Amino acid sequence: MDGIGADQKDPRVAASTQTLNGNGRDAEVRSRLDAVWELANDALFAVSLEGIIVAWNRAAERIYGYPAQAIIGKHLSILVPEDRRHELETTITSIARGATIEHFETVRLRSDGVPIDVSLSIAPTRDEKGHVTCALAVARDITAIKQALRQAELSSVKLSEREAMLRRALLALRKSLEETKSAQLQLVQAAKLESIGRLAAGVAHEVKNPLAVILFAIDYLAETVQTPDANMVSALKDARDAVLRADSVIRGLLEFSTATELTVAKEDVNSVLQKALLLVRHALTKSHIFVVEELASDLPPAMLDRNKIEQVFVNLMINAVDAMPSGGTLIIRSRREQLKEPGPDVGYRRSDRFRVGQTVIVIEIEDTGTGIDEAARARLFDPFFTTKPPGRGTGLGLAVCKSIIALHGGTIRIANREGGGGARATVIFQSVRP
Amino acid sequence: MDKIRVLLIDDEPSFTRMLKLSLERRGRFEVMVENNGAYGLKVAQDFRPDIILLDVIMPDIDGGEIASTIRADRNLKDTPIVFLTAGVSKETTRAKGNVIGGQKYLAKPVTVDEIVRCIETQLKKPGGVAPGSSPVPKS
Repeated sequence: MDGIGADQKDPRVAASTQTLNGNGRDAEVRSRLDAVWELANDALFAVSLEGIIVAWNRAAERIYGYPAQAIIGKHLSILVPEDRRHELETTITSIARGATIEHFETVRLRSDGVPIDVSLSIAPTRDEKGHVTCALAVARDITAIKQALRQAELSSVKLSEREAMLRRALLALRKSLEETKSAQLQLVQAAKLESIGRLAAGVAHEVKNPLAVILFAIDYLAETVQTPDANMVSALKDARDAVLRADSVIRGLLEFSTATELTVAKEDVNSVLQKALLLVRHALTKSHIFVVEELASDLPPAMLDRNKIEQVFVNLMINAVDAMPSGGTLIIRSRREQLKEPGPDVGYRRSDRFRVGQTVIVIEIEDTGTGIDEAARARLFDPFFTTKPPGRGTGLGLAVCKSIIALHGGTIRIANREGGGGARATVIFQSVRP
Repeated sequence: MDKIRVLLIDDEPSFTRMLKLSLERRGRFEVMVENNGAYGLKVAQDFRPDIILLDVIMPDIDGGEIASTIRADRNLKDTPIVFLTAGVSKETTRAKGNVIGGQKYLAKPVTVDEIVRCIETQLKKPGGVAPGSSPVPKS
């Protein structure tokens, strides 16, 4: 309490309290109101309906920076920033109509021009006849709260940004982990192939010589026996077939050891496909297989080792033929394609095998056989895995195909045709020009 | 008609024995066998073959080295050499016309018929030698 009495003409005293009469009851009320007026932590001030400040408490002095003597008699607009002047008219009009405004958050100006956030509650004061005479305003300085809120919002935004950043980093980490795993698998696979290659080269030398001797001996016997009986002819044929079969296994293994060497040149993929078709023509005719060629005429060239890719196509065509023992249709397609969406092996990064927007060459070799069951599909490219009957496949053909295509920077996938009834091998190469 | 003189240099005795037997049985070939590559040049100088069948991988000396010494011999430099190898697949040799690095190759196992055809082709080509007529006088 600063000891300002009810009768003192303190300019800070509220105009409304000054209207009270001096009887005992009024004096007590006035005393209470004066105490509230002076002790309030919020700014309290009265404004005439013309907008003139008529009373101003101590808290108002502290919050707005104006001493009462300096501001009483001034227009309220002194406290209102330029861009909020419109609030003045609306507020005064509302109050004049007898309305009350509660907790209206806005910005006002201190005497030094610094804006402060305030929460305004304004009520009309009335005379004995009930007419509104002025407005009594309570202004709470909420600058610190607002700043804290703004800070919190900022922190929240920053937090969201960091969270998004972390999510992106996590995704990148996961992708990187997958790539590392995939690279690790490829390395393991490459190491396996290299081991098989080394093994093959060693085994080939040790096994092919004895095979050659056996083959010479079989031929020698076949030529020298004058009148061989049926059993001997059959035995010699079986022995010869066995030698050739053993040789084909060794040959398959040798393909691994030479698969890492490429002699690439700019090649027309269609002509490689047609050459491969020529090489399997006998097998196609023998199995009554009809061939459909759907080769794109606008196919760009690709950098290929012609012999090795021809070997890949022959392998895939022979697999297709073997899948149609009772005849069927072999469909050979080629087309250029611009990759539009990311997917397996297709992305936006340099490390992706193919990139979105890139033009590639797509080859499809399709049969109308029985298709491949789920369990077999997962192991198709494993060395020595075969679905062919004993004596027919070495289980190395597709493993060699995959290895050769990977060396060319391409991919191979094998899936059943949509709707069943056959399988489709899809090979994708990078084209030389888009 | 003189027989075609074939020098067979290979470290596998069973292979050389069977091939000699099979070729000579046909009556048109006279086959000299050498299982030690290191003696290849000496035997070639003495035997004066029309054609040399040479194993690539041998324990002491490889076929390429023997071929170089034979090529360096003025009396033998035009004698056709066909390499027999167990280290290259048939597809590889066929795809390249049975020639790798300018040298004629046959991949084991090979049939006697294939060897006979190869010998005939080699001796008929320009620079090759007509059967039984070595380009240098036989001593």
